[in-house]
Amino acid sequence: MSYKEHAQANQAQTLTSQPGTARPVPAVHDMPPFAERLQRGLEDENMHRALERFAPSWRQSRQALFEATAAEYGSDYSFAALRQRLRAAKDEAIAHQEELVARFKEQATAAGAVVYEARSAEEANRYIYELCRRKGITLVVKSKTMVSEEIELNHYLEERGIKAVETDLGEWVAQLDHERPSHMVMPIIHKTRQQVGEVLSRATGREISRENVAEQVAVIRREHRQAFLTAGMGISGANALIAESGTVMLNTNEGNGRMVTSLPPVHVVLAGYDKLLPTFADAMTQIRLLARSATGQPMTSYTTFITGPDRPGKEVHIVLLDNGRSAMRADPRFKEALRCIRCAACANICPPYQQVGGHAFGYIYSGAIGLVVTPFHHGLEAAAGPQSLCVSCNACETVCPVEIPLPSLILDVRSRVATSEGLPWLKRLIFGVLARPRLFDLLTRLAALGQWPATRGTPYVRYRYLRLFERLPGLRPLVQLTGWRSLPAFALRPLRDRIGDRANLAAARQEGRRSDELTVCYFAGCMTDRLYPEMGEAVIQILERCGLRVVFPRAQHCCGLPALNSGDRQHGVAMAKQTVRMLERALDESGADYIVCASTSCVVTLIQDYLRLFEDLQLQSWLNRTRALAGRIMDFTSFLLRVLVAQQRLPALRRPRSGSAPVVTYHDSCQSCNCLGLRTEARQVIRDVLGLELREMRDSDVCCGFGGSTSIEHPEIAERLLERKLRHAEETGATLLVSDNPGCLMHLRGGVDANGRPLRVLHLAQLVAEYLA
Amino acid sequence: MNSSALFAQFQSRLSAAGGVAHWAEDLAQAAEIIATHPALAEQRLIIPPAFAACQPWGALLPLLSARGIRLEEATIPERVADAPAGLSCASLAIAETGSVFLADNALAARIVGMLTLTHFVLVSAGQLVPLLDEAATLLQTLTRPGPQQQHYISLVTGPSRTADIERTLTIGVQGPRALCVIVVATPASDPSLSREEVKDRDNEL
Ligand code: SF4
Ligand code: SF4
Repeated sequence: MSYKEHAQANQAQTLTSQPGTARPVPAVHDMPPFAERLQRGLEDENMHRALERFAPSWRQSRQALFEATAAEYGSDYSFAALRQRLRAAKDEAIAHQEELVARFKEQATAAGAVVYEARSAEEANRYIYELCRRKGITLVVKSKTMVSEEIELNHYLEERGIKAVETDLGEWVAQLDHERPSHMVMPIIHKTRQQVGEVLSRATGREISRENVAEQVAVIRREHRQAFLTAGMGISGANALIAESGTVMLNTNEGNGRMVTSLPPVHVVLAGYDKLLPTFADAMTQIRLLARSATGQPMTSYTTFITGPDRPGKEVHIVLLDNGRSAMRADPRFKEALRCIRCAACANICPPYQQVGGHAFGYIYSGAIGLVVTPFHHGLEAAAGPQSLCVSCNACETVCPVEIPLPSLILDVRSRVATSEGLPWLKRLIFGVLARPRLFDLLTRLAALGQWPATRGTPYVRYRYLRLFERLPGLRPLVQLTGWRSLPAFALRPLRDRIGDRANLAAARQEGRRSDELTVCYFAGCMTDRLYPEMGEAVIQILERCGLRVVFPRAQHCCGLPALNSGDRQHGVAMAKQTVRMLERALDESGADYIVCASTSCVVTLIQDYLRLFEDLQLQSWLNRTRALAGRIMDFTSFLLRVLVAQQRLPALRRPRSGSAPVVTYHDSCQSCNCLGLRTEARQVIRDVLGLELREMRDSDVCCGFGGSTSIEHPEIAERLLERKLRHAEETGATLLVSDNPGCLMHLRGGVDANGRPLRVLHLAQLVAEYLA
Repeated sequence: MNSSALFAQFQSRLSAAGGVAHWAEDLAQAAEIIATHPALAEQRLIIPPAFAACQPWGALLPLLSARGIRLEEATIPERVADAPAGLSCASLAIAETGSVFLADNALAARIVGMLTLTHFVLVSAGQLVPLLDEAATLLQTLTRPGPQQQHYISLVTGPSRTADIERTLTIGVQGPRALCVIVVATPASDPSLSREEVKDRDNEL
């Protein structure tokens, strides 16, 4: 079969939107079930500490390096520019894969290498095994390769009597302890030095220090020397396959990579097709991004370029692996994931990853990219549990050096899982109700009337009121959810009942308007409407005090975010259409200039998620309609600064009284900073417009843990992220915690209430409204 | 950028990677730096085979021998492993990253930089370049098919290191524990051969 035919055969088994057609993938041996991996991860205190300590220092050094390079060499060397270049090179390689493979093969073969194309894990394993058998090789030394983990090469060889020794320190320790790497770059980040000392003592039969890392590192040099000198084969991965010359590029730090590829008489390179790059120039761009993204170091110690065997008698075999990659390539969305350079930045930055580690947050590949590629390499089922851990904070996309839209690909995986496994009944029920505006209205009003036993008339559903119900079977998990975070009460009068004539859309047009008068159509979002009408009133108050006319289409309803976020596309699409139709009509009837929304989660749904959704479902006319609307939609914070302040419409504000003025700390909602790129706007409002003191908290832009339904599905994670966030807020000594997204505010308020913390939690609009003279 | 500014940049990048860079005006100074280095306490230095014939560096060997240093040509890995010091020469030094560019098909030459404990690398000032992009150009040239094709090229940036255990940085894992790069202003014993000519000639390789 030619490569093209292989690709077609693989495409036939593409993991497309019809789930259940996913290829049957052999289960990875010894992989504990997800629930068990999750439990272990949650309990591993040492690991959390290690990951939480690493994250901030990594972020800092990574950013400092990129900034320094841009300052020195100009904007062509900024992170944005480099990532654009690498992305383009990778996209070219993916688009022209057949030509690139042909070129690579031709060049590598001319240089004396043997290139073998393996369609599956089995084919790759068998090729390598046969090679050992033919040559009578019984000992193999390996340098770090994720692809070998993907195909379980060690296991395959060992079952057939061939010993494979990992020579990378972390991989070796993991191998000795019968574990898999929990991180693609730092395989044993989950282990303490004491644990490493124990593993090494057990393996060598000598007492190795539990404290002295240098002594532990020295062990590997001694232990491996003999293996290097006697092994018949060295196996490595590849960081890039450079097509123009048939060269394999390898980045390593420890020095074992060069020994594995140099000393034994046979060198096998194991690499996916995704490692192809057109030219050396592209490889330099990758080098500039890889180490900085991975560990925040400028460059790895060794970057090796191998072009065929270096001496007579030496053999170089390059195994190109498909194993689901052509299915990925055939998928217009998932082919973007083939750009990955395995830097693990998407794991380093991921808040839930820090809480559970890579064994749970992923399968063989971990971190955000692990959730995305696992269905293709190891089946949809293998991704089902791990994908549920993503809180859709979008942080990973901001650091990915090849700009893979990871969060939305994870949602795609989620919707495939939801379609194939079905949603839990509770979610089905909730989304069913959400999708029916009248029923939803009725039920929330009934709930507001009937909630007294749970709220006792306060704005919170509190654990102490619910304790009584804890013993009722079925209610227990719900009751326990309020133990660490009180839930909000439904408002007796939702915002829609408080808007008066603003619901009369046509009036805005009829009454005639001054030329400089602006009309704003206010989209509140269901959380503001039903739970926090006072936030909505603050928004309306500000807009009107600025002389704007505000209309509130009463037909507005939930934008569908909860359903879309849970992978429930059926309800999600219906709600998206409903919302687009409603907004078009409102603009039409009222002649409004802008649609303003003070929930950045809803804004992102309206201007980003709908587009993706309609594009994906090929609903061209809906796509066009949404695009037309999107230009008119603005989040409240930007609107305040770019329109109200910039056009000097904001009236004089009360100046804070010195001495008694509150000190503010600001939480960046993920949707605000990661999706809308808002980082300075709210701060400008607090400092410059209101004249208040703002004290930055640590990690102000790290997720608070709300993450939509994740906080219900994985409350342990949501609780920990919330705890961290509130701790950081308190450390500043501020009395006010401000944000601009009701979802976060609900989560933060609930945490403050449940633990009686001395913080007031406000929407930015509420803060501004307090200073209207 | 003039070569002293370029060298300063190279030096700071290399030192950030845990290596050391020295400037030497000529081979005599280079010999002095090597001979007085603590790694030469045993006065033993591993050199790649045929180093004596290698222009312009071969002329360094008599200077080292004159200081009582025993020069050993690298042969098989067993004999080179954990030797206290080794010497190689590089085709480029890259200021952007503090890397040296080593190209050698012969395994015996490469193990000097793989297995000794302190690795000295010589490079002429004319081969000190600002950006990685020049490495890409040279890679293209050297990997071109033909009898001159270089099959094994490394960019070396500092000594071998790991941070696998608790993110604690440890220098010297499987490879050298120290990397010492000596940038020589005028390596040619024949002073009529200017720096630029050295660069041109090397690029023609
Ligand atoms: S979106 Fe956030 S939670 Fe999800 S994978 Fe990316 S970083 Fe992790
Ligand atoms: S997806 Fe992006 S951030 Fe994650 S490992 Fe791949 S390249 Fe790195």
